[in-house]
Amino acid sequence: MRLERYIIDFAFLLDNSLRYQRIKRFFKNLLENDDYPYKKYFDYFMIFLILSSVIIIIEEVKTPIATWLYYYDVYFVTAVFIIEYLLRLWVYNDVHKIVIAEYEESLFLERSFELKRVLKEIAKKKLEYIFSPLAIIDLFAILPSYRELRILRIFVLFRVFKLLRYSQNITHFLQVLAAKKLELSTLLMLVAFTILVSGISIYVFEERTNPNISTLYDAFYWALVTISTVGYGDISPTTHEGRAITMIIILVGVGLISFATSIIVSAFSEKLTEIRENRILHAARKLESYYIICGYTNMARLLAKRLKKEGVDFLIIDYDMGVVNKALSEGYLAICEDATQKEAFKHINFDNVKAVMALTNSDMHNIYICLNIRSFSKECFIISRAIDYNSHKKLKLAGANYIISPYVTAGFFAAKIIEEPIAIEAINDILVARKNALCEQVEVIRGSFLDGVTVKDIDFDKYKLILLGIVRVDPNAPSEEFRHKFQFNPDENERIEAGDILIVMGYTISIAHFKSQVIESSLRHGKKV
Amino acid sequence: MVKKYKILQFGFGRYGEQIAKNLALDGHEVYIAESDKEALKNASKDGFENLFVVDIENDAQLTDLMLDYGFDYIFCAYDEEEKNIYLTITFKALFRSVKIIAICESKETERKLKLAGAQYVIDTMVAAANRLYYIIEKPAVAEAIDKILFKDKSIIFEEIEVPKGSFLDGVNLKDMAFAKNYKVIVIGLVDRELGNKFIFVTRGINHKIDAGDILVVIGKKDDIYKFKKLLGVAA
Repeated sequence: MRLERYIIDFAFLLDNSLRYQRIKRFFKNLLENDDYPYKKYFDYFMIFLILSSVIIIIEEVKTPIATWLYYYDVYFVTAVFIIEYLLRLWVYNDVHKIVIAEYEESLFLERSFELKRVLKEIAKKKLEYIFSPLAIIDLFAILPSYRELRILRIFVLFRVFKLLRYSQNITHFLQVLAAKKLELSTLLMLVAFTILVSGISIYVFEERTNPNISTLYDAFYWALVTISTVGYGDISPTTHEGRAITMIIILVGVGLISFATSIIVSAFSEKLTEIRENRILHAARKLESYYIICGYTNMARLLAKRLKKEGVDFLIIDYDMGVVNKALSEGYLAICEDATQKEAFKHINFDNVKAVMALTNSDMHNIYICLNIRSFSKECFIISRAIDYNSHKKLKLAGANYIISPYVTAGFFAAKIIEEPIAIEAINDILVARKNALCEQVEVIRGSFLDGVTVKDIDFDKYKLILLGIVRVDPNAPSEEFRHKFQFNPDENERIEAGDILIVMGYTISIAHFKSQVIESSLRHGKKV
Repeated sequence: MVKKYKILQFGFGRYGEQIAKNLALDGHEVYIAESDKEALKNASKDGFENLFVVDIENDAQLTDLMLDYGFDYIFCAYDEEEKNIYLTITFKALFRSVKIIAICESKETERKLKLAGAQYVIDTMVAAANRLYYIIEKPAVAEAIDKILFKDKSIIFEEIEVPKGSFLDGVNLKDMAFAKNYKVIVIGLVDRELGNKFIFVTRGINHKIDAGDILVVIGKKDDIYKFKKLLGVAA
């Protein structure tokens, strides 16, 4: 009874210890979490150990190796492998949770706490891990270090297999094959059956006449070599009956091989999108900040083009596979998901998402997308496209921070083009940043040469820029829309202060030059102080 | 001074509504043609009086309309791109010299409309998509552009042709300090000496302004009016 008491207390101690949890989480991440940044280095380290040990063992077959290499392989590599094996066994599940669950259950049912049941449960869980294929490989990979038994050297192969763990591609390959378990096992049965029938018959017909076939083993070997269409020719039929069987099983063999090929190909084509999507999501998760565009419509396409040009990262989500393929072929990150469903954003960390844009052609979908995203993140900035004017309010309610309507801008541009085609063209050039002419915001940094001067003190002509106006940010503004106050063409005596944003127009290089001057001057000033 | 036109606009859908309102706001005479009676009802609610029910496949009806009223411009503003292409081709086939403006939503259609003979083609998505870019990446610029183009009606942009013998004829652009003296910002011009292309002033070339050059200016309505008065082009 005392022992059980200690075990229960210890289980609760572990459960309450933050430090223990933290350490365990660290190892779990390191070993199992693909998104954990340091796992990569651990994987590289293990791959290096495996390769070096395999090379040493191969080298050892012919020539004696240096002692330090021998020690490195036998002690260091093996030790790391054993530690890794034990760590994996440890992080596979939480033993103390089993103890606690059993304890609580026994309290609830008012029966005594049975250590035997707990141990059984623990053993079951741990054995479950020990007998999983990857764990078996891990275990066997430890064995070749025991040099006394030469046969154990064959387990060096398991060291190679161990590489699987650290390479995603091969794991994907196995996953794909696993999805076709039924078809592959059918094929295997078929192959086994054909070998059995043809092997037995060739044995019956030729055992006496053919010197190459003396046992059933020879017969089965011949059968497999023949149906696989490899046909070494070391064993060949000598009787008419034997040749007849050969002809039949060659035909069957061709059929079986094409069957096998088609299974594997179809498995890949089915799984390919899923694998690709995983990769893209993985790539997106690595980005520090990016935008999400829902619905790859014409508007989204133009936006994507612009974002790409400016070097901004983004991820496209659309439920139409054809459209997604198009986006992918244009070199963007895109996944095929229904953005109105929860599943689409399950794997996305919204801390890294700068904004989500719902740009589908349907107001209903955009509203769903807004609601869906709000269910994941309260803060995420959402911009939605609105088609119907009545939808503005609904979209706002659904959580959109900003609503854009292409109809309003289009209506304005369309009407003005009759009277002022040149001006419209010019404005369009600025908007699209065509011909390198663009509008840019320049923040006035504290201590830079802009801070505290008046408009007339800055020689915009010299910088080949036009000052369109100044934007003052009002932090006390009631909502996002009123935060920026734009003052058009300010008076020449207007004072510029730190925190203001100058809106300038000019060519790319002029603006870049001006900006670098601002930053430089603020640094110089900073040093003086 | 800006000439007001007689415009026949086809389509009163989501785009059509906005376009018609903007056209009417600028003082043009807008005639709306639609096949959908619901849409026409909306148009009449919005205060448009000249409404026609048309079948765009009926060439005789279109010809009559054109001959009866003599429109300056045909505006193809259906929400459906293919209807705009069809209309453009139809009108070009009926009247070779008619001026057509059409809207579209994709580059592909823009190309087709240009081929069909439309004088101006507006890709409605270009402006919206790029505005979206500014909203997310450069909010201050977005605010400025919004203010100038849409929100603040007192700020307008205009193109002004320099008349012969005015005070601008023959001076250098850099000497003028437009922003200070006239409170208007000249963003660029078409310098006839350098061809018919629009050039931004920020290019850094010190243009000599001649009669016939076109300046594109942004400014407060009153300031632009005063500026034009000085030039002698104000009505």
